[in-house]
Amino acid sequence: MKSLTKYFIWFIFAILLTGNVFIFLNSIKLSDEINHFEKETKNLHQENLNIENKIYEVDSLQYAASMASELDFTQKAEPVYLENLKYAKSQ
Amino acid sequence: MSMIKPRLLFIILLIFYLLIIVKLFQLQVLNPASTHTTYLKTNRIPPERGKIYDRNSQPLAVNRPSFLLYIEPKKIEDASEFVKKIDAILQLGEASLASKIDKTKNWVAVQSGLDKDKKQRLLEFKLKGLGFEDRFQRYYPESSLAAHLLGFVGKDVQGEDVGYFGVEGYFNKDLTGLPGIIKSDRDLLGRPILIGTQQKLDPENGRDLYLTIDESVQETVKKKLQTGIERYKAKEGCILVTNPQTLEMLALTCLPDFDLDRYYLFSEEFFRNPAISNLYEPGSTFKPFIMAAALDNKSVQPDDFYDEKGPVEIGGYTIKTWNNKYEGQISMTGIIEKSSNVGMVYVGERLGYKNIYSYLKKYGFGQATGIDLQGEADGYLKEEFAWYPIDFATVSFGQGIAVTPIQMVRAFASLINGGKLLKPFVVQKISSGNEEKSIDSKIERKTISAKTSEMIKKMLHSAVENGEVRWAKPKGYQIAGKTGTAQIPIEGHYDPTKTVASFVGFAPVSDPKFLALVILREPQTSPWGSETAAPLFFEVAKELLVYYNIAPE
Repeated sequence: MKSLTKYFIWFIFAILLTGNVFIFLNSIKLSDEINHFEKETKNLHQENLNIENKIYEVDSLQYAASMASELDFTQKAEPVYLENLKYAKSQ
Repeated sequence: MSMIKPRLLFIILLIFYLLIIVKLFQLQVLNPASTHTTYLKTNRIPPERGKIYDRNSQPLAVNRPSFLLYIEPKKIEDASEFVKKIDAILQLGEASLASKIDKTKNWVAVQSGLDKDKKQRLLEFKLKGLGFEDRFQRYYPESSLAAHLLGFVGKDVQGEDVGYFGVEGYFNKDLTGLPGIIKSDRDLLGRPILIGTQQKLDPENGRDLYLTIDESVQETVKKKLQTGIERYKAKEGCILVTNPQTLEMLALTCLPDFDLDRYYLFSEEFFRNPAISNLYEPGSTFKPFIMAAALDNKSVQPDDFYDEKGPVEIGGYTIKTWNNKYEGQISMTGIIEKSSNVGMVYVGERLGYKNIYSYLKKYGFGQATGIDLQGEADGYLKEEFAWYPIDFATVSFGQGIAVTPIQMVRAFASLINGGKLLKPFVVQKISSGNEEKSIDSKIERKTISAKTSEMIKKMLHSAVENGEVRWAKPKGYQIAGKTGTAQIPIEGHYDPTKTVASFVGFAPVSDPKFLALVILREPQTSPWGSETAAPLFFEVAKELLVYYNIAPE
C-alpha cells in the first residue's frame, strides 16, 4: 500500500513538473508571438501610412503638373468660349 | 536507512521553496518598486496629429511615420567609432555628435524626422547605445500650396509638436489629440510576461479638419498671383477669394511665402500671413463703403449731381482728383466710375463726420474679424475725438485708414450680399472618429439695407463698364468692382513712387458667386491698380467663371 502511495506521489510530481515546463514553454512561445505581432502591427501601420501618402502624392495637383511638364503636355486649358461665345451658343 | 534519503530530499526541497517564498515576499511585498523599475516598461503612445483636407476632401496636410534617433551614452563602448559611423549617414558633423555623448546622461535625443531608410542603415551598424522612438511627421501632398493658410508644425521647449500660425496654430489643441500609454511587464528580451501587468490605454488621435478652401481654386489663384507679381514686378501680393453670401474662404494666398517642409530655413517675417496680419491703406477700393453709407443714410441718391469744379481745400490741405481733371456736373455713380477724390469728399461731407465714423465701426474696421487663423491683426481706427476734418476727408477715398485684407473682404461682402456682415472662416468641419461638427456661416450685424446693397452693386458694375480703363473682361458676364491705388506712408509723408495697387470685384452682379480681392505691393511697371491689380483680377475671374460653371448672362 505504502509503495503504491509513493508511486502515486512520484507520478503526481512528474505530471506537475511536466505541466509546469509545458506552461512555461508555451508562455514563452506566446510572448514571442505577441512580441512578433506587436512589431508586425506597427510595421503594417507604418507601411499603410506610407502607401496612403504615396496615393495622396500621385493624386495631387503638384504631381499632375510635374507629369504634364515631363510628358510635355503644355497645352493650357483656355476658357476659349468666354472670348468666342459662338462656341457656347452653337447647337 | 531507506526512509532517510527521501526525507532528506523532502527537507532540501522544503528549504528551497521556503527560500523562494521569502525572496518573493521581499520582492513583491516589502520592496515592490525595485521589480517595477526592472521589468515594468511604461511607454507613451504618440497620438496621430489630425489631418487637414480641402473642401472636397483632398489632403493638404497628413502624417508620415518618422523616427527620433536617441543615444544612451552610458552604454556606448567606443565613442569615436560610434560618432564616425553615425555621421557617415546623418552628416551632422562629428564634433556636434561627439558633444552629445555625455556619459553622465542616460538618454540624449540626436535627431528627429528620420525616415525608414536612414533608420535601417543605422541599425545595420548594430551599435550599442543607439535607439529609435516612433514619431509622426507632417507631409504635404500639395507641397506649399497653402503655406500661410496651413501654418506649420514646429516644436515647443519640451521638444513636442506644436502648430504655429494659420490653421495649425489656431486649431492646435484639436489637431494634437491625447497620447496613449502602455504599461507592460517585459523580460530581458522585451517579451511580455503574461502573468505580469499588461495595461494599454489607446491614444486619442487629433481631430481632422475640412477647410472651406478649394484646392483647385487655390492652385489657380496662386499661379496667377505668381505670374502677376513677376509681370508687374511687385514686391509682394495677395489674392483672397470668398463666397460673399457665406464668407467661407475659397482661396487665400500671399506671396512670397515659405516652404512647409523646410520652414526652419525661413525667417519669421515669411510666416506672417499678410492677408490677415498686414495693414495697408486701401485707397479708392474704400470709396464704395462711404458711398454706400451715404446712400443708406439717404444723404445722397445715385442720380444726385455734384458740381466738380476743381481741387478742394480742407484744413489747409488741397485735395485733387487722381489725374487733376474735373468733370463739372458729375453724378454719384460717376464719382465711383471716375474714382473722384473730390467727389468723395463731397459725399463724406453730406454724410457727416459722426455718421462716417459710425459706419466705419459697423463695417468692422479697426476690429479683428475673428477668422479661424492664428496671427490676425486688429487694424487701426483711431478714437473719434482724435479725428480732424482732413481725416474725414481723406478716409472718404481710403487714405489715412489702415485695414487688413481680410477686413476689406468682410466689409465688401456685406456691401453686395444685402448688408450682412459675416464672420470669415476657413474650417467648415471638424471630424473626430464618428463625430462631426459643422461650422456654419455666422451673421454678426447688418451694415446697410438690401436696397442700398442693390444700388451699390449697380454702381460698381458701372465702374467696371464705364470706368477710365478698358480691361480684357470675359464677354457675356456682368462683373463689378473697384480699383484702388494707395500711396505708402513712409516717415510721415506719402511716397508717390511706392503704391499698393488693388482691385476688389465680384461676379455675377445679380447673384455674386465669388468675391476676390487682389493686392500688389509696390508694382514697378505701373503704380496704378487699374493697370496691374485689375487685369490680374479679370484673369482670375475668367478661370473662376469656368471652374464654377457660371453661364454667360
